[in-house]
Amino acid sequence: MNYMPGTASLIEDIDKKHLVLLRDGRTLIGFLRSIDQFANLVLHQTVERIHVGKKYGDIPRGIFVVRGENVVLLGEIDLEKESDTPLQQVSIEEILEEQRVEQQTKLENEKLKVQALKDRGLSVPRADTLDEY
Amino acid sequence: MFRYESLEDCPLDEDEDAFQGLGEEDEEIDQFNEDTFGSGAVDDDWQEAHERLAELEEKLPAAVNEQTGNGERDEMDLLGDHEENLAERLSKMVIENELEDPAIMRAVQTRPVLQPQPGSLNSSIWDGSEVLRRIRGPLLAQEMPTVSVLEYALPQKPPQGPEDDRDLSERALPRRSTSPIIGSPPVRAVPIGTPPKQMAVPSFNQQILCPKPVHVRPPMPPRYPAPYGERMSPNQLCNVPNSSLLGHPFPPSVPPVLSPLQRAQLLGGAQLQPGRMSPSQFARVPGFVGSPLAAMNPKLLQGRVGQMLPPAPGFRAFFSAPPPATPPPPQQHPPGPGPLVQNLRSQAPMFRADTTHLHPQHRRLLHQRQQQNRNQHRNLNGAGDRGSHRSSHQDHLRKDPYANLMLQREKDWVAKIQMMQLQSTDPYLDDFYYQNYFEKLEKLSAAEELQGDGPKKERTKLITPQVAKLEHAYKPVQFEGSLGKLTVSSVNNPRKMIDAVVTSRSEDDETKEKQVRDKRRKTLVIIEKTYSLLLDVEDYERRYLLSLEEERPALMDERKHKICSMYDNLRGKLPGQERPSDDLFVQIMCIRKGKRMVARILPFLSTEQAADILMTTARNLPFLIKKDAQDEVLPCLLSPFSLLLYHLPSVTVTSLLQQLMNLPQSAAAPAPSNPHLTAVLQNKFGLSLLLVVLSRGEDLQSSDPATESTENNQWMQVMFMATRELLRIPQAALAKPISIPTNLVSLFSRYVDRQKLNLLETKLQLVQGIR
Repeated sequence: MNYMPGTASLIEDIDKKHLVLLRDGRTLIGFLRSIDQFANLVLHQTVERIHVGKKYGDIPRGIFVVRGENVVLLGEIDLEKESDTPLQQVSIEEILEEQRVEQQTKLENEKLKVQALKDRGLSVPRADTLDEY
Repeated sequence: MFRYESLEDCPLDEDEDAFQGLGEEDEEIDQFNEDTFGSGAVDDDWQEAHERLAELEEKLPAAVNEQTGNGERDEMDLLGDHEENLAERLSKMVIENELEDPAIMRAVQTRPVLQPQPGSLNSSIWDGSEVLRRIRGPLLAQEMPTVSVLEYALPQKPPQGPEDDRDLSERALPRRSTSPIIGSPPVRAVPIGTPPKQMAVPSFNQQILCPKPVHVRPPMPPRYPAPYGERMSPNQLCNVPNSSLLGHPFPPSVPPVLSPLQRAQLLGGAQLQPGRMSPSQFARVPGFVGSPLAAMNPKLLQGRVGQMLPPAPGFRAFFSAPPPATPPPPQQHPPGPGPLVQNLRSQAPMFRADTTHLHPQHRRLLHQRQQQNRNQHRNLNGAGDRGSHRSSHQDHLRKDPYANLMLQREKDWVAKIQMMQLQSTDPYLDDFYYQNYFEKLEKLSAAEELQGDGPKKERTKLITPQVAKLEHAYKPVQFEGSLGKLTVSSVNNPRKMIDAVVTSRSEDDETKEKQVRDKRRKTLVIIEKTYSLLLDVEDYERRYLLSLEEERPALMDERKHKICSMYDNLRGKLPGQERPSDDLFVQIMCIRKGKRMVARILPFLSTEQAADILMTTARNLPFLIKKDAQDEVLPCLLSPFSLLLYHLPSVTVTSLLQQLMNLPQSAAAPAPSNPHLTAVLQNKFGLSLLLVVLSRGEDLQSSDPATESTENNQWMQVMFMATRELLRIPQAALAKPISIPTNLVSLFSRYVDRQKLNLLETKLQLVQGIR
């Protein structure tokens, strides 16, 4: 039943399968079982899905309790369309390996970039060292 | 015990004797004593001992009661009594409440406690917290004793078939190490302040030995017509002794967690009173439970007043427990589905007329959707024809054994909090865009209906619900027994963290730049202040409509006053002997926001004031044009200026024209160049303004031939000069005006000959064909 149309309320989403994107970049898929006023979520039969390129791997995680402030977005998964994806599912080990490789290449590129900038006398301030807006 | 770690800890030498004495005592005391380490120290002893004592205590009254007859009844009474006591004790103990954040509670507590009041709609929002508080006390207390009730009454019926697929949904509570005897203080598995829990029944594998197998008749099966009648408040409901609100909901054989559907089926099966209820009615109930709002909205929309509406949470708690054993008082409603529906309808609305500012359109949408859901449910639970109507979603829910872990009550609780956040004392202030959007929609639909074949939808009157502004004097928290006043810093009483001192700088230190910056800042501040005045003034119209007759003159005065202050702000407050300097005004006009603001203010000013503004603008136009080069906001002023011009007399127009073109007072030899005019003509706004002024002048000339000759003369002189200037300007330099008034040709034809007229026409592109 619809409590408040025009407002963002998670009540209608309960017991449905959701995809939740967290602030740290993780993607969780699970059944939303319970919420509270801070949008803390209880996810059931949760699976953490790692995407690398066209492949993805699922790690079963069980029950997740997510603090509301860490959620970037979440959306309901249409169960009928769920299997209708061009992505290819692979095993956990494989996807973790792929992820590691991806992270490594990213780091290397970053290093090259920073080096190149340093050579030219420029420096990119790191986000964590910035204390002004 | 008296082992000192370091020398410093040793007592002074004077106490040596005492110390030695202690040391002797030390040896005498057996540190590894019985109480600490021996048999006396076993942990659960005291608990068991306590319970045994409690048991004793309880046996006595039980024995007394048994003599009076009906053992079962008295058990229930006993239960009620004990639970009542417990409830009282617990409610005193309950310190924190999920809703007891003072910032919220303050708003809630100022509401009077829910009492049956004819003619008022009571809201679950306000009362829910109190109800919850009270309900949680007794309900939570009941987990322990009610478990024991069930344990006593061993399962009489064989476990039912449909239980199999419900096994997964059983949530067995952890084994308790203590025997839950009625009357003992409950061992808290969860802390007191947790949000409403589902009332779970532990599995019957728990071995709880009770010495005396007291037979307790299982609680009566649910009877949905409100036994207490609608007019009882939930507080009253909770405090009614022997109420099965306090008793355990389920008959012994029922597993703890069920989806409402399953629950309903079970309860329907366990029903002992024939004829009262049918399974279909039971099955229908979950649907209704799920849509209290649906029930409420027709009430609100139809403006039904005079219904006593006990709060939803109270009712829902009521509902998840079966109705008590006491027979229902005579109802006016017909039995069967009637009372069921009626009761649910009579639940307190989640919305209250004066606590929400949901627009009726919004409410209508809500209502429509709920009706759809309700219809769905109705079809769903109709006799026999279940399969076809059920949607796949319902299918999923049915097969999903973990569904509805979150109770309806809990969902309502969250929704209630969200609704509370929406309440406002002034919806226009808090939710301006929402209100305007729905008003627009209403107007659109109204317009459409007028065009269409007549009103189809029901037309709900616009209720302007507002929360009354509650003035609460904040009383700071006081601690008992403390010496003096301890200050507690909270949201209502914030503590000063930083001591910010404003130091004024001396004039000498400031550099030129700083002065300029300060001046600009001051101008910005003036603009902001004037803008707030402007917004208030613009809002007065709406306030007129909402206010009472007596208040209106006061409002008018306020409005006038504000308009005056606005003007003063624009022109500078100190008039002095002659007109104040244009400086402030020019400064304001240099800022984009200032220009827009002036454009908005102009309609409110009196004619003289507005004319003054216009003159000042014209006088300083080149400067303003220069400053406006980046913003290009000046054209916004054209429309209010032209509106104003139509009210201005000829004299003003003449002098205005003079100012605009910077024409010398006398018709002496023209200056070699007229940079003022050049600038004006080269700017879109300037040129447009000029044309409008000319047009107005022409209107005045042509319309009123009997004007003063002096004025006429003046005008003609100015026109001659103007045309002379215009002829001199090369065409390429001219800007493209916003609009070209139509009567300029006739204007110019008076003052120039044919040739020059043609020239002027081409130059100013006065003839339509030339573009």
